[in-house]
Amino acid sequence: MKDRLTTAVKQSRADYTEIRVERTWSSAVAFRGRRLETATVSEDQGGFVRVLNNGCGWGIASFTSLDELPAMVRRANELSRAVRLDEPIRLAETQPHVADATLDLDGDVRGVSLAEKKKLLETYNGAMLSVSSAIVDTQASYRDEVSEVWYANSEGTAIYQLRPEVVLSGTAIGRRNGSIEKGLESIGLRKGWHSVQGFEKQFGVVAQRAVDLLDAPRVRGGSYPVILDNELAGVFIHEAFGHLSEADFVYENPQAREMMTLGRRFGKPALNAGDNGAERGLRGTLPYDDEGTPTQDTPLIREGILVGRLHSRETAAKLGERPTGNARAISFRHPPIVRMTNTYIAPGKAGVGFQDLIRDIKLGVYACGAFGGQTMLENFSFTAGWGHMIRDGQVAELVKDVVLAGNLFQTLDRIDHIAGDFTWNQMGGGCGKGGQFPLPVTEGAPHVRIEEALIGGDV
Amino acid sequence: MIDRVLAAAKRAVDNADALWRREEQTGVAFESGRLKAAGISEEAGLNLRVLAQGRMGVAGTTSATPDPEALVARARASADLGEMVELAFPTADASTLPPIPTFFDRTANASLDDLIRMGKRLVERLERSDCQVNVSVEREIADTAVGNSAGARGEYRATGIAVTADITRIAGDDVLMIYDQYVGADMPTEADLEALVRSMETRLTAALTVVGPPEGALPVVFTPAGLAAVVLPLEQALSGKTVLQGSSPLAGKVGETMFDERLSIIDDPLTPGRPGSRPIDDECVPSRATGLVVRGTVGHFVYDLETAARAKTQSTGNGRRGFFGKPHIGYTNILFRMATDGRRAAPAPAALGGGLIADIEDGLIVDDLIGVGQGNVISGAFSHPVGLAYRVQRGEVTGRVKDAAVAGNAYDLLKKIGGFGTDGRWLGARWSPSLLLEGVSVAHR
Repeated sequence: MKDRLTTAVKQSRADYTEIRVERTWSSAVAFRGRRLETATVSEDQGGFVRVLNNGCGWGIASFTSLDELPAMVRRANELSRAVRLDEPIRLAETQPHVADATLDLDGDVRGVSLAEKKKLLETYNGAMLSVSSAIVDTQASYRDEVSEVWYANSEGTAIYQLRPEVVLSGTAIGRRNGSIEKGLESIGLRKGWHSVQGFEKQFGVVAQRAVDLLDAPRVRGGSYPVILDNELAGVFIHEAFGHLSEADFVYENPQAREMMTLGRRFGKPALNAGDNGAERGLRGTLPYDDEGTPTQDTPLIREGILVGRLHSRETAAKLGERPTGNARAISFRHPPIVRMTNTYIAPGKAGVGFQDLIRDIKLGVYACGAFGGQTMLENFSFTAGWGHMIRDGQVAELVKDVVLAGNLFQTLDRIDHIAGDFTWNQMGGGCGKGGQFPLPVTEGAPHVRIEEALIGGDV
Repeated sequence: MIDRVLAAAKRAVDNADALWRREEQTGVAFESGRLKAAGISEEAGLNLRVLAQGRMGVAGTTSATPDPEALVARARASADLGEMVELAFPTADASTLPPIPTFFDRTANASLDDLIRMGKRLVERLERSDCQVNVSVEREIADTAVGNSAGARGEYRATGIAVTADITRIAGDDVLMIYDQYVGADMPTEADLEALVRSMETRLTAALTVVGPPEGALPVVFTPAGLAAVVLPLEQALSGKTVLQGSSPLAGKVGETMFDERLSIIDDPLTPGRPGSRPIDDECVPSRATGLVVRGTVGHFVYDLETAARAKTQSTGNGRRGFFGKPHIGYTNILFRMATDGRRAAPAPAALGGGLIADIEDGLIVDDLIGVGQGNVISGAFSHPVGLAYRVQRGEVTGRVKDAAVAGNAYDLLKKIGGFGTDGRWLGARWSPSLLLEGVSVAHR
């Protein structure tokens, strides 16, 4: 395959050519309530070609028929030449890499029968269903894949990557009279069969939470001091800041560049954040991105100050910065765009724990777990799975529908305490941008306190 | 291809159905006002479902030259673990399908240069010195073939075009983003593109002034775009799947008045000119419209073959399938139909709020909410920060509101609709006007 790619690259008449071919083996099992929905094995494959000519734009072709590869290289070249540009697109210099990068399969999922996968998921689904008769519905799913990715470009890079992934998720729906609540567990790992064993307890816990939420009041809307648990703090940094640090937002926009000037203060000195695609064994981890650039740890905020951003080769060249290995595509069907990998808030002082954060809060909210988040850059939302009121320094009653409204310039700056209890939260799901969803990413954070944040609800 | 796969299936299993689809897309992208990329994508694939000893299994492939026997074997292995289902495969043959044009020559024949020209004209009309404009134009041509072992066959060609535009305006630390789209099966007319430009300009102009948000239980106009948070719970609750699973709050309520009596909502795969329209669904069921909400009462839930079999009813023709995985329920085109109440305001399609704000003393127009779909959707409860919203004071739009959050329950709010706007339009696969809803909670910092 590698030879087919390098030959096709050599035959290209374009100034710059890159080819990505993927072959993905995957299996999936899903339960809905007590019924099995599906148990399937699938194979998906296809290719992606992107070319650039001097004075012209990108020409792109994606296809499922690999026999068409040479023809698709020619088509992409024609498309590029149809796009005339006054200001040429430049790509930042990178060293050509020739490598075989095989991630640890951790129990190759291709060697495990579909029946065994069904049995495992049935156990987790059963753990949710057996919690209470108030659990009326569940959705449990298991999905694994082993993806082979070949990449070659006309600068001499030729890379083969073997990427495993496994995702477990469970949603428990509780219902009593008119009230319906859900609990969600989600585990996503760039690993294999060994790493998805022993999660019965976690699945039971989310079902119990769905039942408990049935009797919980909705949180009252308003501004509160808020403590985010590790999971929600991770979603927070992804939405609040991660997307703003993606350089494709600023590289063509002078006003955005000004707003995001390196050296600008965004938080108090306690705040340190970054994105690390090279951290071992996480869902957002990759040896090389989809332009063949090695991934790395990129500091974004150091002691409250903006110090870096995430780049593709194109955005790096435009801003005179270095590529960071953040050009990613969800599959051969899409071009690489600037994306996060494993985004984190670095831990505060060792020994500082949750109790130190909550002690002096008279009335506040402890927001836990994450149903999701979304950003419109300056403003963003992050939706907790559940919450507790904080009263006189203590965790008090359970509350539901806890959705936080964040503002880039206000919320980040109001982070006043960061605990030392950092964890990576290896959730399933993924990040969506530019029509590409779900991209595997990971977030990591310790407990974080925001002096004041807006929570929606009845006022 | 369908025939070969079904023939192979017939030799190995009791019953089968299959979908084959080939899609070809051509797109151009303008970034910050200039053309940056042109691309094509070609994809073909096949999805097979079998019933073997009463058990259901599925298999899919995107291989260019799929081996029918291997695909059937994979589907059989899936069926070995599958549930028992009594699927009744429809027997409709192609000649009895309802007529609906899905293929438009103008769309199919548009050249790359045509798409570039259209994008360029749109960029020129949207450009302003203080804003960044992104535009993309994407055209699709798709061939679909469905068939089953009961002899049903269906085939159609379809075209689709999506023109999307967004404007970003950054002034100091204020970020304003405005988005709109034209989506259709046929090419947009000059008037369609003009409507898109005016809609974006209206919202941009009104957003230049930032005002403080109000607080309390207030009247809120949800624009067709802003309505997503209110419609989503209904879409989930009206799915035959959630009804079967016991998680739909509308289960058992068919015929009961649950909403404002002037409100009807239909799912209609036979709407002319829409990319969601087709003569037959992905499981060989001929298309027809389904009344989801009929004058405020719960009408009919939507079903695919499997959920219909389990619920002992008929499929509504809402079966949808991709290349991988099993068929599932999908809406086609969702249309709001209002009984006119005789007090409709004069048509003013370009005006914000669809003619519904004249009597509002203090309230909001919500055009975009952040995080829709991420909470406990089916319960009807929603709570979202505003992405794009305007304050209404004494019947006038006074400016854009930031740092506010709206919350409410979709089922409760739709019991009494304060008014239906005169600004009905398509947004993706949904046609609706603005709705005025009373007593929506608005919180601010």
